[in-house]
Amino acid sequence: MRLDDLAGKIEARILTDSAPAARPVEHVYAGDRISDLLSHASDTTLLVSNLSGAPLIRLADLMDVPAICLVGGQRPEAEFVAAAQSHGTVVMVSPAGMFETCGRIYQCLLEAKRVGP
Amino acid sequence: MKFIRRAIQGGDFDRGGTASRRLKEQLKKIGADPAAIRRAMIAAYEAEMNVVIHARKGLLRATFDTGRLNVEVVDEGPGIPDIDQAMKEGYSTAPANARELGFGAGMGLPNIKRNSDRFSIESTAGRGTRVAFTIFLRPQASAGAGRNSIRVVANKCRECMACLRACPTRALRVRGGRPKVLEHLCIDCAACLAACESGALTTAGTVDGLPPAQDAVLVIPPALVAQFGPGVGRERVLAALKDLGFGEVRVADVWDNALGEAVRDYAQHDSQVHPVISPACPAVVNLIETRYPSLIAHLAPFASPMEAAKDELAGRRAVFVVACPCQQTVLGGDLAADSATILPKTLHSILAPRLAREHSGRAARNERHGASAEERGLLRVTGLRHVMAVLEKLENGLLEDVAILEPCLCDEGCFGSPLFAEDAFVARERGAAGPSKAAPRAGAVRRRAPYRARAGLRLDSDMALAIQKLAQLDKLIRSLPGRDCGQCGAPTCAALAEDVVRGRAAGVICVHRAGGGEKPK
Repeated sequence: MRLDDLAGKIEARILTDSAPAARPVEHVYAGDRISDLLSHASDTTLLVSNLSGAPLIRLADLMDVPAICLVGGQRPEAEFVAAAQSHGTVVMVSPAGMFETCGRIYQCLLEAKRVGP
Repeated sequence: MKFIRRAIQGGDFDRGGTASRRLKEQLKKIGADPAAIRRAMIAAYEAEMNVVIHARKGLLRATFDTGRLNVEVVDEGPGIPDIDQAMKEGYSTAPANARELGFGAGMGLPNIKRNSDRFSIESTAGRGTRVAFTIFLRPQASAGAGRNSIRVVANKCRECMACLRACPTRALRVRGGRPKVLEHLCIDCAACLAACESGALTTAGTVDGLPPAQDAVLVIPPALVAQFGPGVGRERVLAALKDLGFGEVRVADVWDNALGEAVRDYAQHDSQVHPVISPACPAVVNLIETRYPSLIAHLAPFASPMEAAKDELAGRRAVFVVACPCQQTVLGGDLAADSATILPKTLHSILAPRLAREHSGRAARNERHGASAEERGLLRVTGLRHVMAVLEKLENGLLEDVAILEPCLCDEGCFGSPLFAEDAFVARERGAAGPSKAAPRAGAVRRRAPYRARAGLRLDSDMALAIQKLAQLDKLIRSLPGRDCGQCGAPTCAALAEDVVRGRAAGVICVHRAGGGEKPK
C-alpha cells in the first residue's frame, strides 16, 4: 500500500513536503522503545511511535525507514521534521492515540489485501 | 581496507548516531550487501548510543574491506560491574532522560550480539567499557566457489601434459604453449603442482620476503616443523621462529584437533547421515561439491582448521603459513589488511641455514600412540587416488563400518603438500607429535553458509541451446579416437569435444585423425 493512500485513509497529516510519499509500505511496527524499533525497522516498514526525539529520526535514517507515524496529534519540533525531510523520511501525524491509530492502519492493510493483487 | 574513527560525546542525544551514519555511508560506497548493512547499523547504533547514555565520552573505530567489518566502541565511563547481568534482555541502568527518549529497554547489548558474527565486551568498573563486534559482509561459501590459487608462470611450460593427467576434475588445458585452469572445475587441490616439473604452475602467494613480524601471531602448519632434518624437533623450530620477532607462534594442529573433536561430537549426537565426512581438507570439500554432490549431506558443517584459526585471531595481526593453494584461497579472500599469508618456502629459506648450524645430530624422538578408543570407527584417507576411490565406495554404500571419514587430498594430509620439500611420509613421522600440553586450546567454527553442489558441465544457460549442443557433443565424441592422449591440450577426447562445443577450442585438431594435422602451436 502506498504511503500517501494510507495516510489519507487513517486521516493522518503528512508534515514533510519533499519526502517521497508515494513509496510502498509492506510492514508496520509500533513501539516506544528504540531497541525494538531498531530490530524491526527496514526499508519497507512504517514505524508508529509516541517518540518524537532526535534518536527516532536518526534511527529512521540509519535503517532507511520510509516513514514515521506519530500519534495523538503531536506537534513535533521543527528540527525533527527538517531532519526527516533532509534524509527523505516521511513524517505523518495521526490525530488518534496509539491504540486507535494501529487499529485504523490494520484495517486499511487488511482491506488492501482483500482488494489488491 | 578502510578505516573510520569517530568521537562520541556522552549525553549528546542530538548528535548521537553520527558515527554510525558515517559508517553506513562508507559501507554503501563499497557496495556491501544491504542485509549486512542493516545488521551493522543495528549493532553500531546500539553501541554508539550506549556511550551517549552511560559514558562521558567514547570512540568508534571501524575497519573494513569487502569481506568483513570490525567495529570497536571504547568509552570512558562508569563501566559495567556485572557483564552477565548486562547481557540479560530487559536489564538496564539507563537514567530517566534516556528512558524518555525510548532507551533503557535493556536490549542494547543483546541486540548487538544477535546482529553480529562475533561479539566481545570488556569492562572495568569506574574506568570504561570496550565493545567489539565483527560482521561478515558477504556469504562465506559463495565467495569461495570458483576461485582458486593455482597460477601460471609465463614461458615455463614444456607442454609435457603431465598436469592434464594429474587433475582429478579435468580442469586443465594446455594451449598456446601454456596451461590454462578452468575455474569452474578447479578444486584447488595441489595435484597439478605436484605433477608440474617445469615450474609453470605455482601457488598464488603475495609475500616474497617476510612481512613485519613485530607483535604478529604466526600460524604454521605442523608439516613446517618437519622440514629441517631429523635432529630438529618442534621446540627448536618454534624457538627459531620466535627469534624472528613474532609475538606468538601457533602450530595449527590445535585447530585440527578442535575440528576433530567437533566432528566426533557431531557424528555422535547431531548427524542424521552416516558416515560423517570431516571438512578438514578444503580441497576435499571442493571435490565433493564438484564431483560427488550426492555426498554433500555427509559433510560436517564446520569451517576448515585454518579458517577457524583466522576466525579466532581476527582483530590481531596474523601471518599464516599456507600449506597448499586451497588454504591460500580460503584464507586470502577476506584477510585483514595488516595480516598476511606466506608460503612455506619463504620461511624455509630463512630458517634452514640457522637450524642447520645448530644441528645436534641426535634424532628427536617422536611419541607414538596406539589408536585410542575415540578414534575407533574413524577412517583417515589421504592421497588423491585413495580419497577418490573411497568416496566412490561411499557413494555406492560400501562403507557401513565407518562412522567418520577424514579425507585429505595430499598424501599424509598437509604433510604431503607439494609446497613442502620433505617427503610426505618422512615429514609425518617427524612432525606428527601433536601439540604440546602448554599450547593454548582452540575451538572449531561452524560454517556460516551451507555446502552447495557446483555446476560443473553446463553447455549453455539456455536449456534449448544446451540440448542442441549436447547432440553436437555426442557426435563429436564419436568422431574422436578415444585415446585420451592429451596431445591436443585437453586431457581427454571428451574434454576436447566439450571445449569445441563451448567455444573454448577453435576446432578439432587431433593428431590421430586423418587430416587432423599437427599439434596446435
